[in-house]
Amino acid sequence: MTAPAVPEQSVRNERLRLRLQAIRTFARRFASRPDGVIGVIVLLVFTVLAIAPSLFVGDLQTATTATGPSLSPPTAANLLGTDELGRDILNLTIHGTRISMVIGLLATIVTIFLGALVGIISGYVGGRVDTVLMRITDFFLVLPTFVLALILAPIILDLVGANSEFFGIRVTLLVIVVVIGVTSWASTARIIRSQALSVKELAFVGRARVIGSGPGHIMWRHILPNVMNLIVANTVLVFGGSILTETTLSFIGLGDPFAPSWGQVLNAAESAGAMGLGAWWYVVPPSVCIVLVVLAFTLVGSALDDVLNPRLRVRR
Amino acid sequence: MRSSLRAKVARTIAAFALALAALLPAATVHAKDLLTLRVGTVESLDSLNPFETALNVGYEVFTLNYDLLVNFGPNNEPVPGFADKWTQSPDGLSWTFHIRDGMKWSDGVPATSADVVYTYNLELEGTKNGGVVGLGYLDPYLKDSFVTSVTAPDPSTVVITSSRPTTKLTHSYIPIVPQHIWKNVTPANVADFENKVPVVGTGPYQAVESTSQYVRMVRNPNYWGKQGAADEIVLQYYPSAPDTMVAAFKNNELDYIHSPSAESFNQLKTAKNTVALASEGNGFTQLNYNTYTKGGGASTTAIQDPAFRQALGYAIDKPTLIQKVLLGYGTPGTTQVPPWEKAWHTEPNDVRTFDIAKSNQMLDAAGYPRGSDGTRVDKQGKAINLRLYVPNTTPDYAKDAQFIQGWFGQVGVKVTTQVLDEGTLVDDEALDTTKPAKGQLNYDMVIWGWVGDPDPNALLQILLTSSIGSTSDSQWSNAQYDQLYDQQNEAATDAERKTYMEQMQQIFYDQAPYDILYYDNNLDAYHTDKFAGWQNQPVVGGAPFFQDGSINYTLLTDASLATPAPSATANAAPTAAGSGGPAPTVAPAPAPTDSGSSGSPLPLIVGIIAIAILLVGFIGMTRRRRAAAAEEDE
Amino acid sequence: MGSRYLIRKVVGACLTIFMIVILNFVLFRMMPGSPDRILLRNPNVTADAMAAARTRWGLDKPLIPDQLVDYLEATASGDLGFSFKFHGEQVTDVLAGRLWPTVILFGAGEVLAIIFGLALGAYSGWKRGGPIDYIGNGISLILYSMPYFVIGILILGVFAVGLHWFPTSGMLTIGGGDDTFASQLLDFFGHLALPVTTVAIGLIGQYSILMRSSVIETLGEDYVTTARAKGLTSGRILRSHALPNALLPAVTLIAINLGYVIGGAITVEVVFNWPGLGTLTVTALEARDYPVLQGIFLLLSISVVLANLVADLIYGRLDPRVRS
Repeated sequence: MTAPAVPEQSVRNERLRLRLQAIRTFARRFASRPDGVIGVIVLLVFTVLAIAPSLFVGDLQTATTATGPSLSPPTAANLLGTDELGRDILNLTIHGTRISMVIGLLATIVTIFLGALVGIISGYVGGRVDTVLMRITDFFLVLPTFVLALILAPIILDLVGANSEFFGIRVTLLVIVVVIGVTSWASTARIIRSQALSVKELAFVGRARVIGSGPGHIMWRHILPNVMNLIVANTVLVFGGSILTETTLSFIGLGDPFAPSWGQVLNAAESAGAMGLGAWWYVVPPSVCIVLVVLAFTLVGSALDDVLNPRLRVRR
Repeated sequence: MRSSLRAKVARTIAAFALALAALLPAATVHAKDLLTLRVGTVESLDSLNPFETALNVGYEVFTLNYDLLVNFGPNNEPVPGFADKWTQSPDGLSWTFHIRDGMKWSDGVPATSADVVYTYNLELEGTKNGGVVGLGYLDPYLKDSFVTSVTAPDPSTVVITSSRPTTKLTHSYIPIVPQHIWKNVTPANVADFENKVPVVGTGPYQAVESTSQYVRMVRNPNYWGKQGAADEIVLQYYPSAPDTMVAAFKNNELDYIHSPSAESFNQLKTAKNTVALASEGNGFTQLNYNTYTKGGGASTTAIQDPAFRQALGYAIDKPTLIQKVLLGYGTPGTTQVPPWEKAWHTEPNDVRTFDIAKSNQMLDAAGYPRGSDGTRVDKQGKAINLRLYVPNTTPDYAKDAQFIQGWFGQVGVKVTTQVLDEGTLVDDEALDTTKPAKGQLNYDMVIWGWVGDPDPNALLQILLTSSIGSTSDSQWSNAQYDQLYDQQNEAATDAERKTYMEQMQQIFYDQAPYDILYYDNNLDAYHTDKFAGWQNQPVVGGAPFFQDGSINYTLLTDASLATPAPSATANAAPTAAGSGGPAPTVAPAPAPTDSGSSGSPLPLIVGIIAIAILLVGFIGMTRRRRAAAAEEDE
Repeated sequence: MGSRYLIRKVVGACLTIFMIVILNFVLFRMMPGSPDRILLRNPNVTADAMAAARTRWGLDKPLIPDQLVDYLEATASGDLGFSFKFHGEQVTDVLAGRLWPTVILFGAGEVLAIIFGLALGAYSGWKRGGPIDYIGNGISLILYSMPYFVIGILILGVFAVGLHWFPTSGMLTIGGGDDTFASQLLDFFGHLALPVTTVAIGLIGQYSILMRSSVIETLGEDYVTTARAKGLTSGRILRSHALPNALLPAVTLIAINLGYVIGGAITVEVVFNWPGLGTLTVTALEARDYPVLQGIFLLLSISVVLANLVADLIYGRLDPRVRS
């Protein structure tokens, strides 16, 4: 009776060993991609800034706590100059990191969750469900993102109430998250569906079905792990795209001046007439941050894509 | 010989570039035929129909197109318009207007008293039984004058009678429109009348082209008054792009701009050949409270208590707001009648000044003690956390909100801020009287603004009890105020009217349904090298355009024809003929800073073409090299 | 087989358009701040006048079925109603006036971006690892990471405000008297230069990256290896094998991306005050001009559906595998 315990243990060990080996292989391959590594470093730096912005530049300056002169160029006191209220641009930009990254992260979670859910179900179940889901997906694919976003924003605000807060996140920011999520899940769903379609045909899925596993179980235990690589690579790319979309939406005026993201800072710069005044220090820091972060995500994303899915290159 | 696709493309591009280059000389011979005044504004025109416009720019355009019965003069005094003379009967109940002899509409048709009767009857008929004409903004001018009939005994005489003596008829904003064009327009269909170009009017300039980006107006050859120097006027709209408007102004694409950002304005003060003018405005920015007492969505009863609102008034540092948000272009606010209304504004007694200690002490005295965490609690024992909403139309409101949040926090009143779009905010603020109040009026405080008419009635009536459900954003109700409103409206003389209005302003200030944060300045800038003869309205402290009426457009002269040739700086300081008032914040140009930029796209176009040709050549060469190599390979 | 594929695609497109029309109705009825209440900011509007306005706009009827049926009927007959903001003007007229500037701006921008982007991408992919690839790919990635309006603000700041080479905004210099056709054309090109450059620069990165990876992928395919084995020169392989095959997915994706492109580039129009659909969207949104917003939404989504349909059909014709 004791005999089976040993093989089971060893099977588990073997699995663990294989997984570790896979991770090591992955790490080695990834490390051989200098662009990916640079991207990861950049993202790490911004993540640290996003987690603890106050450590570096103190609390977020507001109109009342601002100390600098109005629209001062970079000086020793304000390394990146000030805005029209005398707030330190460095302070705003660093705090903007947190807001931009959090919005990007949440929007990515929404996008990937919806995309993966629809993609896997559609790909695995097939038939009429697939047809209906793909029709809906196609529908969302053609909707003009920004016009829809502009229309959705006041509707969502109206539905959830202007004063609500979710887990300490202001509702205006949440609106942006939902808007990005709703408008961008469709392409993820398409990509994942096509992968799920081919995984479904693999032998072990058929075997699982034969031994009587339910569709939910199969999708969770067999399909999902096998499309995970794709999901990971796609997540990184979607993250970068979300930050870009957030920036544009805030620039158009959907942002929250009380919780300034990079796009919101640029919006404020535009309405103060910064570029016409030659106040480049107001425009350049947030712009550079946006470009750096999106670039880093793109680099990491494509490196991951190459490493994880050598034959299945995803194009956006 | 393989003549590949690429070679073909290269040849095509080269040909196109040559063709483009051939076009270039055309630009240099392009002569300046017409003297065009280009005016930029951040609003875009909503309608050419005077009864259908709600915007500043709409009033600007229709007062250029049309004459009022009596126009607004350099100091907003009555001056000849459609009528050149007028008298009031001794009993004050009837006015006789003489219509200028021989006056013609811009299409040549004689302009007579029949046109006045038509226009005024459109208003009278439309406002009967509580109706509105178009958007209704022009309705009060006859309604509040108690006009009963408008008749024309002969083509050059109009007699207007009213049920009470009135002084408001010579300050009426109703434009006289041509009956022969408008003959089918009735109060019922006036809202559908587009008033298409070319507009026919008696004003100095007529709209001939109107798009959603600009309106172009040309000089009316039949205009009865002084012909302006500008052959045409183009009003260009820059909605949501004030920075672009300023850039266009600096690039000499615009001669005049209205409402640049305060930061840009500061910089324009030192630009060459530029006058930057901050002038008093007829409006204010307020912090309004939700004072509704019969249900509604206020989060605390405290804001229904005048003592609470007064105490908070001491926690607002208005000079700092003006300095930080408006960069100094405004004055601290007190009453609902802005100081621009010189005849009507009165400073209240006991003006509240910034004093945190006093505010704290008053809040304690009024029965709002601090709770354990320092936040004050209301009389029901609930911690006070006020929701402050601001519209997203200008960033200034959000800046104000940040300051107020900070100051109220210092006196133990917590504030949660939120930016909303205008539509949502209007929904929040307006009570739908057909439904129960519960669940409505979900706001505590809002920062927003109002802009008034030359007559103070417009700003007085938003605080009436009868405005709850329409324009009231404070839901304030005060019987004494309502009664005084009727009394001032029916007053026979201005002096009597003023005494009622003084009381109204004091009650408003003491009860504080609004805290008027500041009276915003209007910011304008113009170039002095193309046009001269700039005059302000009012002469002292005003601005040339976007005031009342269009008188200053006709006073412009061509700067290149100015007789004392080198005295460009003399024009820079706008002084009115004869008045010699001190020029307002005007800074003549210091030494020009940027030089010799020709304003021509020529160099870059040439550059692009050169690069394109080089590129094509390069590609062509590499291709040939490769082709040669290929041949060797094979 | 061919006609079945065609019918399936066309029916699918029609279905999508129908769904868009329905969504359009639902969304705009859900928007807060219904247009009649905007009138409330006017101090003189009475309850009667409000009721009259509601009747005029059909807001007094029940939502379903009356308003929906009215709306479907009108939309089907090409009547999109009247604009709220531009009083009395037909929405179709408002849209028509703004359509061409956008088509010209984005048409020209797309063409430039496709030419330069695809050329750069193809060259980089072909010369993978070479100096042009490094520089080109680097620049493409940076451009890809830049929001359009950032590019626009920088270009505006340098070439219009700083150097005064180009006009800052608008599409034509308004007024100024009789112009020759040539000078007007030149004026137009002068106004077009900066926004079109912005659009093109914003797109080049995307297309170049796309084309590069597409070429690299194609160069790794079996038939290319076969061609190489047959002894064809690399130039010939690129021209006759790799490029046509790499272009296919690129062109399709360009068509599919159209919706994103136009949407994202709204900001370019705003920055340069270009009188197109983008600035109209922002103006209409501020004025709660629902009919105009509905029109824009409909116009943009339907054009994307049609673009996709065309792309599908081209793809189906070029790549017979798809049809089966």
